[in-house]
Amino acid sequence: MADEGADAARPGELDPGAPRKRRRGPTRAPGDPRNIGWLYVLPGLAFYVLFTLAPLLHTVYYSLFDWDGLTPKTWVGLANYSEALRDSVLRDSFVHSAILIVYYAVFPVIIGLGLTAALTRSAIRGFRFFRTVLFLPQLIAGVVIAQAWTWIYASEGPLNRFLELIGLGSLARPWLGDFTWALPSIGAIGSWVTFGLCMVLFIAGVQKIPTSLYDAARVDGAGPVREFFAVTLPGLRAEILVAFVLTTINALRSFDIVYNTTAGGPGGSTIVPSMYMYQNAFLYNRVGYAAAISTVLAIAIFLLAALVLRIGDRGEHQ
Amino acid sequence: MNRRLLGVVVLAAFTLLAAVTAGAYAGRQATTTTLTMWSYDNQDPGLEPVLKQLSKDFEKSHPGVKINLVFKDFNSLVGTVPRALASGSGPDVTEGNQGYQTDAQLVKAKLILPLTKYVKKYGWDKLYAPSTWGMFRWTPDGKSFGKGPVWGIAQTGQNVVAFYNKKKLRQAGFNPNKMPGTFAGFDKLLGQLRAKLPDGEPVIMEGNKEGYGFIHLFGGIWGASVKPTAVRNWIYHVPGSRYDTPGTIKALAKLQQWGKAGYFNDDFNALGYDASATEFAKGNGVFWIGGDWDSTIIKTGLGAANVGVMPIPPGPSGQWASIGGLSGPWHISAKTKYPDLGAEWLNYVITSSRAKALMYGQQQIPSDRRAKAPKGDAYLAQVGKAFQLVANDDGLLLYTDWASPSMYTTLQNQFQLLLAGRTTPAGMAKAVQDDWAKFDKTLR
Repeated sequence: MADEGADAARPGELDPGAPRKRRRGPTRAPGDPRNIGWLYVLPGLAFYVLFTLAPLLHTVYYSLFDWDGLTPKTWVGLANYSEALRDSVLRDSFVHSAILIVYYAVFPVIIGLGLTAALTRSAIRGFRFFRTVLFLPQLIAGVVIAQAWTWIYASEGPLNRFLELIGLGSLARPWLGDFTWALPSIGAIGSWVTFGLCMVLFIAGVQKIPTSLYDAARVDGAGPVREFFAVTLPGLRAEILVAFVLTTINALRSFDIVYNTTAGGPGGSTIVPSMYMYQNAFLYNRVGYAAAISTVLAIAIFLLAALVLRIGDRGEHQ
Repeated sequence: MNRRLLGVVVLAAFTLLAAVTAGAYAGRQATTTTLTMWSYDNQDPGLEPVLKQLSKDFEKSHPGVKINLVFKDFNSLVGTVPRALASGSGPDVTEGNQGYQTDAQLVKAKLILPLTKYVKKYGWDKLYAPSTWGMFRWTPDGKSFGKGPVWGIAQTGQNVVAFYNKKKLRQAGFNPNKMPGTFAGFDKLLGQLRAKLPDGEPVIMEGNKEGYGFIHLFGGIWGASVKPTAVRNWIYHVPGSRYDTPGTIKALAKLQQWGKAGYFNDDFNALGYDASATEFAKGNGVFWIGGDWDSTIIKTGLGAANVGVMPIPPGPSGQWASIGGLSGPWHISAKTKYPDLGAEWLNYVITSSRAKALMYGQQQIPSDRRAKAPKGDAYLAQVGKAFQLVANDDGLLLYTDWASPSMYTTLQNQFQLLLAGRTTPAGMAKAVQDDWAKFDKTLR
C-alpha cells in the first residue's frame, strides 16, 4: 500500500523531463536537504497518517457527539468534556492511575538500577541467563500474566499459603477482592512486568559508560555505592528517562491486567481510565463519551511524557 | 428386437439417472446454507451440549443446511454483538440480553427483526404467560420496555433459589425436611446456623467476582419486603417508579447485616459465581443462593439425595418472589438471508419435545410452561417446583441490571461497597436511583 503511494507521488516529485527543476538543482548548496527526502519518508508517513493520526483525529471528532456507535450521531459540542470534568468515577480512575505510576514506573526503575549495579559490577556466572529470566515477564501476554497472578493472589493461593507457612497467616486475605489491597496488588503485577525492561535498558546503557571512569573512581578510592552514584547513575541519565517515559505510558494505558484481574472492582476501587473508557464504549453504548475520555487520557499521557523529558533536559543543561 | 428395446431402456435409464443425479447434486450445491448462531449458554453441563445435539438433529432433517454454533462468554458476546450485526457479517441468529444495555440497542438500531410473524406461525404465544412476554417487548425506538412488538424468545426458565446441604443441616441439629416457610423463619435459621458452625465455615457460600452474585442473592431478601410488580415497573421505567423506597432500604440493610454477621465466606469478591457453586458442591457452606442453571454442578458434587432446593421464602405478603425470568433472548438478525430458516431452528430448539427432553436431561427447566418434567427424578422435580412456586405467584423479579445500560456496573459497585460497610443502605439506594433517573431522562 505504501509502495503504491510512493509510485503515485513519483511523477510530481521527480520529473526528469522538467527543465526548471534541473536548472534549480545547482543553486542548492551541497548537503542541503533535497525534496527527494520526502519520497523516502512517504511510506512511513503514509502508514503513520493512516493508522495513527487519522484514528486519533477521528476519535477527537467522535468525542463531540452523543453517539451509541450504531444509530445517527447528535452534535453536542464540548458537553462530553464538561461531563468528564464533573465525573467522579473518571477522577477516581486518574487517581488510581497516579498510584499505579509508582508501581509501574518508580519501583521498576529503582529495582532495575539495583539489579544493573549488581549484575554489571563484577562478572557473574550465568549473567545472560539471569538477564533473560528477569526480562521474561515482558514477553508474556498480559492476559496470561493476569490469570497467573489471579491464581497466586487467590484465597487459597500460593501467596496466602506462604504467609501461613511463615506464621503470618493473619495477613492472608483475598487480595484482589479487598478494597485496600486490590490496587496495590495490581500495581505489584505491573512492577513485576516492567522491571525487566528497565534492567535491560540500563545494562545496555552501562556498557556505553567508558571503563576509564570506573577505573578513575576506583583509583580515587570510591566504594561500590559511591561508584554507583558518581559514575553509573549520571551515565544512565538518558536510559532512565526513556525507561520513565515508557513505563509511565504503560501505567496510564494499563488495561489488560486490570480487566482480567478485577475488572475495576471491588466497588470501583481499581477502575483506571482505559477500563472506564471500555465500559462506556462497549457496555454503556456511549461511544462519544468514551472518545472524550480517551482524548483526555491521550492528552494526559502526552503532557506527562513531555514533563518527564523536560525534567530530564533541564538536568542535562545544569 | 427385444435386446434392442432392452438396450434403449437401459440407455434411457442411465441418462435419466445421470440427469437426476446431476440435478440433485447441482441442487444441493445451490442450497448449501450455513446459519451462524451466537450463544453465551456455554455451560457444560448445561445448555451447550443441548444446543449442539439439537443443531445436529436439525441438520439431519434439513439436508443442505449447516448450523455453525459459536459459543462465547456472556460479557464478550454482549460487548461485540451490536457491531457484529451492524457489519452484516455477524450471526444470523444470536442471543442478546433483555434490558436497556443490549436489546434496546439492537431494536433501536434496527439490527434484529420483530418476531410477530413467527409468533403467529408457530403459536409461540402459548409458550409463556402474557406478563412474561413483557421482557421481550420493545417499542421500535427502543425506548419503552415491556410494550410493543416481541423481538425475542427464550429457551429456559431461570430462577435464583437456595440450595442447601442436607447433611450439614442435620449435623447442626436441624431437620432438612422442615425448612422455614417464611422469610423471618429463614433469617432466624441463618442466625442459628452461624452460632453453631465453626468460625471459618460460611453459612452461605457466595461468589461475587463477576459482580452479579449479590444482584441475584439480594432478590430473595428484596422480594420479602417489596411488591414484585413494583420491581418490574422500575425495570420497565414506568414513570414514578423508584428504587429508594423504605422496603428496598430495609432489604439492603438486612443484606448488609448478613454480611456483618459473617454469614458469607470472606473471599466472596474474589471468588467466581460458578466457582462458588463448585465450592458448595465440595461441602463448603450450608446454603448456596444462586441460579438454578448451576444445579447440575451441585448435584454432581453433593449427590442428588443430599441437596434441597427452595426459593427464599416470602415475607408478610406471602407472595413468593426471586430474581429470575427467562434465559437470554434469541434474536433473528435483520441482515440475515434466511430469517424463516432461523425461526424454524428456534422453534425446534425451544418447543420440540426432543429439545425439552434434552434440556431436562441437563437439569434445565424448559421455558415452555406446558413442559412436564420426567417422572422419577426427585432432584429435578425440586428445581422445577421452586421455579413454578415463584412463576405461578407472579413473583419473578426479572434482572435488576436491565434497568439501564450502566446499571450492571452500578449495582456491582454498590453491592460491594455495601457489603464492605463503605456505604449505607440508604446511600446505595440513592446511588442506584440516580443511575436510573439519569438514564430515564434520555427516554423522555
